[in-house]
Amino acid sequence: MMDLFIQLLNDALFSAVPAVGFAMVFNVPRRFLPYCALGGALGHSLRTLLMHFGMPIEWGTFAAAALVGVLTIGFAKRHLAPPLMYAVAAIIPMIPGTYAYNTVIALVQLTALSEVNPDLTAEVVSNGLKTIFILGALSVGLAMPSLLYFRTRPVI
Amino acid sequence: MYADTQNDITRQVVRVAQLLLAYGAESELVEEISQRLGQALGLASVEISISSNSLVLTSLVHGRCITTTRRIREHGINMSVVCELQRICLLTEKGIYGLNEVRKRVARIQPKSYPKRYLVPMIGLSCGSFCHLFGGDTMAVLITILAASAGMSVRLAIAKRHFNLLLNFAVTAFVTTLVAQLGYHLQVTDTPKLPMAASVLMLVPGFPMINAISDMVKGHLNVGISRWGHATLLTVSSVIGITIAMQIGGLFL
Repeated sequence: MMDLFIQLLNDALFSAVPAVGFAMVFNVPRRFLPYCALGGALGHSLRTLLMHFGMPIEWGTFAAAALVGVLTIGFAKRHLAPPLMYAVAAIIPMIPGTYAYNTVIALVQLTALSEVNPDLTAEVVSNGLKTIFILGALSVGLAMPSLLYFRTRPVI
Repeated sequence: MYADTQNDITRQVVRVAQLLLAYGAESELVEEISQRLGQALGLASVEISISSNSLVLTSLVHGRCITTTRRIREHGINMSVVCELQRICLLTEKGIYGLNEVRKRVARIQPKSYPKRYLVPMIGLSCGSFCHLFGGDTMAVLITILAASAGMSVRLAIAKRHFNLLLNFAVTAFVTTLVAQLGYHLQVTDTPKLPMAASVLMLVPGFPMINAISDMVKGHLNVGISRWGHATLLTVSSVIGITIAMQIGGLFL
């Protein structure tokens, strides 16, 4: 129990840093940076919690992105700023970067071999599918509040 | 409403839409803000058609239409501009801003960006945290921070000289991977693969990808597909950089 708590804390801390870093690349105004950090920390640690209880990474990502979506709509209503501003920075820690990296490296190796190698092919297919499905889960989860609740009226 | 007033309002609305698209807002937001702003300023309706690098806007008052087209040139993502424009739209809707005020505020918008001395260490730390989250040891995290900071300063230096974005990504990926390979050559870490995977994560085109999928989900299919294509091209060019650096380092192949 204590281990899980420490792991979640570790997750929250180390996913808040990239959220702020990438928010600065997107030039989010300084007064909104803490909210990006909060969104990133909550989203990533929720995903770790769900995966700890045996949920597959795609569904965990979907739920975490939906949480980030609801949270950022709350922020947006308070500050009168577009919700996507917080949301994209907050989900950056969950973007399937390593899966995409492994897919592409395996593809390049497959090209260099110039014959079909079953191991590398399996790696390309499984990592590539994981990348696509996690990306889809992220953005559909993020759009969930406006698909379900804010159907005909604007968010702010 | 006189013809020149309609002209004026339409110009302001299309300027706002152009700025929103150029600084990376999603299509749904562009459409919503320009329609609300137009109606708040007194137009009967605003119809807008967005494609990947241009937009067409028609405003209607008293059965009289004005259609105007603008070319969009990408300026990179700047959320502070988008935020400011959203605020202008909301304040106009509440009746606080009139047309003259809107014109003044829109003309005053400057795309501000964070200075290099904050950006480079922040990106280094971000990629270091990615490496830690993937399970790298301390030396791996240090190598990642070094590689990502070097890559980010190269990226900002190239961006300042207005080179093509694809070229920029290839060169940045090359430099980053070259530095991140240190883990293999110096043998100070047990997880030499992680710095290479984590430090190039700063090149993941996260914003174009999320924008692309949310555009497609909300029905702007052609804009979404072209943004997706742009994100894919960026990824491919960073892969070229990574591959060249790996071949120079003699890691695989």
